[in-house]
Amino acid sequence: MTLLLSIVFGKIFNVEIREYAPYILSGMILWEFVTASAIGGALAFVQADAYIKQCRHPLAIYTLRTVFTNAMVLGLASLSLVAWVLVVMPQNFGWTWLAALTIYPILIFIAWPMATFLAYIATRFRDLPHALGLVLQAMWFVSPIYFEAKVFRGGDLHWLVDLNPIYHLLEIVRAPLLHGAWPTIENYVFCGATILTLSLLAIALGQRTEKKVIFYL
Amino acid sequence: MNNNMIQLERVNLYYSSVAFKERSLKSLLGSAVSFKREKAEVHDVHALKNINLEIHPGERVGLLGHNGAGKSTFLKMLAGLYPISSGERRVIGTVRSLFDLSLGFEPDASGRENILYRGLLLGLSPKFMRSIEAEVVEFAGLGEFIDYPIKTYSAGMQVRLAFAISTAVGGDILLLDEVIGAGDANFMAKAKDRILKLIEQSEILVLASHDFSALTAICERGLVFHRGEIVFDGAINEAIQEYRRINGLL
Repeated sequence: MTLLLSIVFGKIFNVEIREYAPYILSGMILWEFVTASAIGGALAFVQADAYIKQCRHPLAIYTLRTVFTNAMVLGLASLSLVAWVLVVMPQNFGWTWLAALTIYPILIFIAWPMATFLAYIATRFRDLPHALGLVLQAMWFVSPIYFEAKVFRGGDLHWLVDLNPIYHLLEIVRAPLLHGAWPTIENYVFCGATILTLSLLAIALGQRTEKKVIFYL
Repeated sequence: MNNNMIQLERVNLYYSSVAFKERSLKSLLGSAVSFKREKAEVHDVHALKNINLEIHPGERVGLLGHNGAGKSTFLKMLAGLYPISSGERRVIGTVRSLFDLSLGFEPDASGRENILYRGLLLGLSPKFMRSIEAEVVEFAGLGEFIDYPIKTYSAGMQVRLAFAISTAVGGDILLLDEVIGAGDANFMAKAKDRILKLIEQSEILVLASHDFSALTAICERGLVFHRGEIVFDGAINEAIQEYRRINGLL
């Protein structure tokens, strides 16, 4: 799949496959994690209804469960990325790769509140996951996930890159692995802000609806 | 020293009607643009009305009432699952509740794994679960099938396993909702023994049932529910009389 995509996109955008393939792969596995956590997380309460109706626990454990499952998939998938990069770009290997490891806690702390927030809404509105698929696809189009950042910059759409948390998130992996460079402070600031925003949203909504969820199941 | 008790003061509970109105974004948006049509009005359900109650250690309480009178809602409220709309609820002691037993299995995991999951869900440590695992397996009587995935089980087998797990550990306050009556005849006898043992261990028992003989055998105090209100609180035999009178069964 990555191979196919990288050949097609490589031809379209006129970039070299050898380096474009890991770019696509890194975007693909990270984005896969985000969408799986968003859609899977939105269904978490609905699927755990039997548990929620019998035991009294903080509801966030059910979304955490979804997120951890996806994190394991992500961990396995990222091995293939690392292997690929080691083969085609061995010169990038170095201390900077330690920074790439920080993607795991960051992703988990982004996905957990996001999934929890969505799960509260999705128990109320059961068709949210379908709508979510469309929203995520729209986000995919306007983010440098498969398309290179310079494509957006070339089209005078700097803000779609610079103000896009998805770009900064990806950069934490891409800078070390693909360029052998450290991610910038800015990348981390954006990720931190995303975590904070999502957590506050989830907590605010949770305080209002945590107890009511059982009525909606 | 035990001071387990249940105290309820002017407790009201509503089921919010929003829960069964707009159930999708689509219909929400749809109703915003479409013509206002007269629909059957759905009101908040006043499920428990002004409940005042105290239950002290050592009491065995039976709940009576017609279907929909509020027995299960009352139990779930005691367990802390349903939020009360007003009033005060004080429950001291660890609560163990047995409601819908057959719910909540992971269909792809084996019976043995499900024992562990259920235990963790009840807040028990993995170590403790391993120590009682053999006993649970023995009681459920599933033999070699315990290592097969749950989805291969028959309905009866699932109930037996669920029952074995759920009744493996007791608590200070035991809430039972019509659980007596699962499995084949052989299992029923075993189950009854086990429930009785669990009841003996518990400090407080609240049992909802339609089985008068079980109620008189186990409970001393009876509460009669009628349309969300407690209409009678007293000795179990009188409660049964009252229940019969209200529902025109005499």
